[in-house]
Amino acid sequence: MNRALEGKVYPAIGFTVSSGQVDRFSLVVGDDGSFVPPIFVTAAEVAATAQVLADPDLGLDFARVIHSEQEYEWRRPIAVGDELAAAPRIASIRSKGGHEFLTIETEMRDASGEPVVLARNVLIVRARV
Amino acid sequence: MNDTRRFGDVAVGDELPALSRTVTREDVKAYADASGDQNPLHQDDDFARSVGFPGIIAHGMLTMAHLESCVVRWLGDPSGLLRMRVGFRAAVLVGDVIVAGGRVRELDPVTRTAVLHLWVRLDRDGVTEHAIRRGEATVRLA
Repeated sequence: MNRALEGKVYPAIGFTVSSGQVDRFSLVVGDDGSFVPPIFVTAAEVAATAQVLADPDLGLDFARVIHSEQEYEWRRPIAVGDELAAAPRIASIRSKGGHEFLTIETEMRDASGEPVVLARNVLIVRARV
Repeated sequence: MNDTRRFGDVAVGDELPALSRTVTREDVKAYADASGDQNPLHQDDDFARSVGFPGIIAHGMLTMAHLESCVVRWLGDPSGLLRMRVGFRAAVLVGDVIVAGGRVRELDPVTRTAVLHLWVRLDRDGVTEHAIRRGEATVRLA
């Protein structure tokens, strides 16, 4: 991966929390659908970080990627109808033992600009064997 | 949802009720559609084998979502979940039974919060492995 991209901030992606998607998510997770699961924010994170993974300047070999760590910090609960703006940033790119570690932090804000969630995602790009 | 669990009813060392589920191929596909994560590692056996797995694996985030559900059921109120962090270890394969659990590690009477130690285990061929180990959450109690 291109270490020069450390610190790069990507454009915020708009994501609307819809009842249909929340219902599908709750069904898979086994929740009763009476609330928005806090971890539903993964859907917004996936939408926002796609542009990072596909960034030709980054040079990520997607076939060697596995998920290493994940963290969320919730500033407030998520509700149906929330209009989130999710902006990913490459927090770090590190090498260790032939593996590479990519940390992406995604800040999600609501329509009034207030922080809602901070997501931190660590991917491992495994060494070639 | 139930009422939020009360701070005074919780002690360090308390265990969360374990929550288990079998992960099916249909679950993994449904999670891909619900989350938008369409990585072929979770849908295409040939692709998964080409990168060293015996077949498709479940999204780590499906396993984390199962663990989050375990926490929220114990907590009684999803708005009390303030922070959650996990490290992924063993890959979850189709047919695995995953068991989420946790234990109260710290209590802070000033903020009425608890820090939970969390895990997701699975048994494969009589050996217990961790899909998630050293997970952690901070929750606000009533």
